[in-house]
Amino acid sequence: MNADWTGDPDQLMEADEQRRDVARRFRSTQVPMIKLWTYYYGLGGDADEMSFDAYLNEALHLPASQVALIATAMRELSAGGDQ
Amino acid sequence: MTGSGEQPLPEPGDLPLEAMELSLQQLVLESPDIKAFLTELAVLASKRLSSPGNRIHSGVTVLRQKRPQAVAASDAAAQALDELQNRFGQGPCLTALRQGSTLLVPDLAAEDRWGPYVRTAEQHGVSSILAVPLDLAGDAEAVLNLYSGRSNGFSGEDITTVESFVAQAASSLRLILRISQLKEARNDLTAAMQSRTVIDMAIGAIMAQNRCDRETAFGILTRASSTRNIKLREVAATVITSISGEQRITAHFDD
Repeated sequence: MNADWTGDPDQLMEADEQRRDVARRFRSTQVPMIKLWTYYYGLGGDADEMSFDAYLNEALHLPASQVALIATAMRELSAGGDQ
Repeated sequence: MTGSGEQPLPEPGDLPLEAMELSLQQLVLESPDIKAFLTELAVLASKRLSSPGNRIHSGVTVLRQKRPQAVAASDAAAQALDELQNRFGQGPCLTALRQGSTLLVPDLAAEDRWGPYVRTAEQHGVSSILAVPLDLAGDAEAVLNLYSGRSNGFSGEDITTVESFVAQAASSLRLILRISQLKEARNDLTAAMQSRTVIDMAIGAIMAQNRCDRETAFGILTRASSTRNIKLREVAATVITSISGEQRITAHFDD
């Protein structure tokens, strides 16, 4: 499950926790995955839909910079998100 | 940016995420096309089943996030009856909606389910109710509600007629929903292309000014956005304006 991780173990635990939090928040919304991905792509996100989906299902790690963009996408969409 | 802890995520409680959802249910409720379609459905059902001395009132209720909402009706009386039922949160139409099958209440006076609602509906002059759910293949949930002032106001033939009628309407509605959804996705993509163009330009500018890599430039931009609570795209637009004076950046593609 974490075979994609190359950093040190402490960071892995932190990244796991952050990912769990993002995934939980995603599940608590009614936003379709594709809508969130499209918004994230609009912010300059690089992960494709498949990796994005896998991240939100806690099956893959993404670079910290992408995680920050996902967090930004969620924040902006929840703030009323008309683009 | 480096290190995953650098951009702490807001607590889940901070985000009113329910407010941002755009589901098919919402489309059903907000699209003027769909509302018009459902109103037509209600009017047609009412016309088809009404006979001299037995006027049928008809309304459509849509379930959104488990909460019912009356969206269309043949007349004000039907709208009021739907809303009444939704306020009580229980009634034959809501039961039909939840179990996904037709429900007939031939005589309200003899009915002992949905107590308070049934009594109130009787006071409004309703004697029998027929509720037929629309099968929208899980995309949304809706039910056609028919009210008659007579007991046994619906014959077996009426029920068959309404059921086939509703099945046809549901398949049209599924198509309308699909099209609306695609239109929505296309608009989202157009917006994303515009937004991404502005952000990519700003990232390039920051890289040149700071002699840094792309990831670092993104870190600078996202930090500026979250500390000032301004959208990333707006921060990016400000960066471009400050360099070139350009106010409007558009993506280069036709739709």
